[in-house]
Amino acid sequence: MQEERLAIHLRERPSQLKEAKNKGVKIIGYFPGNYVPEELIYASGAVPLCLINGGDSQPAEAALSVVPQVICPFARAQIGERLLKENPYYSMIDMLVAPITCQHLKKVAEVWEYNGDLEIFKLGIPHQHNNDFELEYFTDRLRVLKDRLQVFTGNKITDEKITQAIGLYNKMRELLKNISSLRCTSPSLLSGLDFVKLNHASLNADPAFMVDFLDSVYHELKDKQQVTKTDAPRILLIGPNIGYGDYKILELVKAAGGDIVIEEICEGIRYYWNKIKSKDDLFKSLAKGYLVDRVPCAFMRYSTRKRFDFTLKLVKDFGVSGVIWYELLCCETYDSESYFFSQEMGDRNIPMLILESDYSTVDTGQLKTRIEAFIEILRGVME
Amino acid sequence: MIELLKLCGFSEQEIESELPRVGKAFNKLGITVEDIERGKQRLTKYYDVELKGVRKALRLIVRELVDALLVRDEGMKKVIYGFMAPGFDLLSSALVTKSRDVCSIHHSWAFQIVVGCIFGKIEPILEEAERKWLKAGMVAHCANLKTLVGPIVLGLYPKPDLLVTTGFLCETSPKTVDLFHELYDIPVWYVDACQDRTCGEYPEPSNRVASSTAKSLERLAERIQEVVGFEITNDMLLEVQDAKGKLNEAFGRIRGLVESSTPLPLSPAHENIWMCLNVLALSIDGITEATEAVDTLYEELQERVAKGLGVVEKEAPRVLATLPMGQTDPRLEYLACEVGIAIVATDRNLEVSIKETSEDPYMKFGIGMQLGAMHMPPAMRIPLLIEGCKKLNIDGVLDRFHVGCRAVAGDALLIENAINKELGIPVLLLEWENFDPRVYKHEEYKRRLEIFKTMMIVNRQS
Repeated sequence: MQEERLAIHLRERPSQLKEAKNKGVKIIGYFPGNYVPEELIYASGAVPLCLINGGDSQPAEAALSVVPQVICPFARAQIGERLLKENPYYSMIDMLVAPITCQHLKKVAEVWEYNGDLEIFKLGIPHQHNNDFELEYFTDRLRVLKDRLQVFTGNKITDEKITQAIGLYNKMRELLKNISSLRCTSPSLLSGLDFVKLNHASLNADPAFMVDFLDSVYHELKDKQQVTKTDAPRILLIGPNIGYGDYKILELVKAAGGDIVIEEICEGIRYYWNKIKSKDDLFKSLAKGYLVDRVPCAFMRYSTRKRFDFTLKLVKDFGVSGVIWYELLCCETYDSESYFFSQEMGDRNIPMLILESDYSTVDTGQLKTRIEAFIEILRGVME
Repeated sequence: MIELLKLCGFSEQEIESELPRVGKAFNKLGITVEDIERGKQRLTKYYDVELKGVRKALRLIVRELVDALLVRDEGMKKVIYGFMAPGFDLLSSALVTKSRDVCSIHHSWAFQIVVGCIFGKIEPILEEAERKWLKAGMVAHCANLKTLVGPIVLGLYPKPDLLVTTGFLCETSPKTVDLFHELYDIPVWYVDACQDRTCGEYPEPSNRVASSTAKSLERLAERIQEVVGFEITNDMLLEVQDAKGKLNEAFGRIRGLVESSTPLPLSPAHENIWMCLNVLALSIDGITEATEAVDTLYEELQERVAKGLGVVEKEAPRVLATLPMGQTDPRLEYLACEVGIAIVATDRNLEVSIKETSEDPYMKFGIGMQLGAMHMPPAMRIPLLIEGCKKLNIDGVLDRFHVGCRAVAGDALLIENAINKELGIPVLLLEWENFDPRVYKHEEYKRRLEIFKTMMIVNRQS
């Protein structure tokens, strides 16, 4: 019943947005990675729309007419989606807010800027925040973004509107965290695949609808919650990115009898662990919440140790018996980090499987075999 | 060894005093008698070592490498190593000018030229890095980074007291430095700037970006001061910038001569030597020596031009190449000359010229960093390339893309399309690794360069 409600909303969402667009509402696209405060876009009266499609080889291949293969498949998929014009979300956006994170996503913004057919705001993300001026830089850029959004939408962004938006998105984060945390003790209530899909939905759905929906899901699952034991190995999934539709690994793990109980993913899903603490200066609050108070992605400076410590905590809190590291081909920072993580996990007798994908379908058989073998190893360790 | 050092511009007197040190350093690198022979052959084949200016430049490069390799053996107190760190060379030069107790190594440029270009022995270094976190294969890690990881992991380069990098163009060097910190307990530092300039800001440099670059570099200076125990003043930096300005002017004269002379007076294989010389951690005296080397070369090239001598035939098609030349391997550039193609310029040297700069050395750097084509998004880089092609009367573009660098490789197809559309001249698109000689495929490259040449000639005639 709940699933059907969400499915209907998502199915109708493109036409709802087109209707809104016809009435003058601006649709503002942004790239994932959780560095673009949706709150600001929402407060401007525009609709924030995360561009997160991935997993399908066709758009990634279509982009090869514009960028070479060394650009990661997710970044290429964004370029390809706009070239193919088949996905309504990619065609309907009036403006793009592009966080300058890794070189791959930066290149997408640059290609779109070069094509010149879309208003683009490059949001510089300082790759470190140890120095005072770096946080100031980000705060200033958010203020400039606000100004740009006001001009673009013709609406004034007041503190009150921002506070309301922060409240709404904080509620969404809180509910996602609550739902995710149920997996600490109750396996099978919600698979990794289901949770990722839920998370993905939150990036495209109407936020008010989503909060209401997540609230229902949380209470329904909470009522069903029970401490049970299964023989399914509990797995932590780490990776740079899971695009909307990039479900092959999640499906293969599920089919092989593994249970992904928690994800530490940089892009493609919403980071829900921390809330924005709204204080007097809302821009400083947003900047701090998005840049400082979160587990850093691999492209950030000094991130390796911080992310490793965080994942170790996840391993403990979620009773994880093995780690699947899922990276996209040509993602150099995650590939480098995988060396460190596999050594450190090995030192702690936590098995880790490294998988990579370029969204092609030809590797499915090989991935299936490797995942099945890994789950057998985990079962052996559990015995 | 003596002959090799002579080819590299060492005087007899200097050879006598330096030979034990050079021998020790080369031993450390595993350079054998056979390697020395091969080195001599490669030097005479790929470089114009009959030109005194080239030899003088090579001498400075070899000397820097020897100093770096022996730094701990010779009791140097502090070692600061900057990798992929524009701006670090500025601080480095100030450091080594002020103190003899500090060794500052900038990048692996000297290592790449000597071990890669001269001895042809860079592969084991790259392979060592690949056994660590920069694995080989489709992920296409930048081999430039491998020349940082390999020498330190193998114990060739000293474990530094501070390892510095920047995130001006990519995040892969910072990630590797981060892993050095975690796995080898090396203190590290990062200089950063947001790469969020928009084409609306072009051609003016962004004050916002310049200012954050300047602040970040200033914090590095403060960190270095803590390590070395003395102050780096603005006056010291301005003095270095002044000396480097003269060196750059000297390079500019060479570039101007090469671009305007026919036949091409010097093989483009030398470009990597100039790039290296420009960013070595030289003292003010060293920078002056480098300037003298370039000035000497300029005079020698003027003589060549006056006599109508060159390295390709007079009517050879004129080519602009993207990226600097192969940093560890001069064979492609040599082959281009053999085939009869004149690579007269690279986009590394294409810059926006601005009138005003700053009196503050950090801000001056922050502004300067934004002027070059390679640090620009395609909406700025491509118009600059097109303008450069027109100005230099270019017949074709060698659009080689260094796969390890997503920032520049990502533009390759856009460049090809734009040049074809705007200028109608041939573009040779070459998948490439600027720091890995293993990508060199002689027969394939030769065939493609020959076809490229024919296309340019036909296009020129039509």
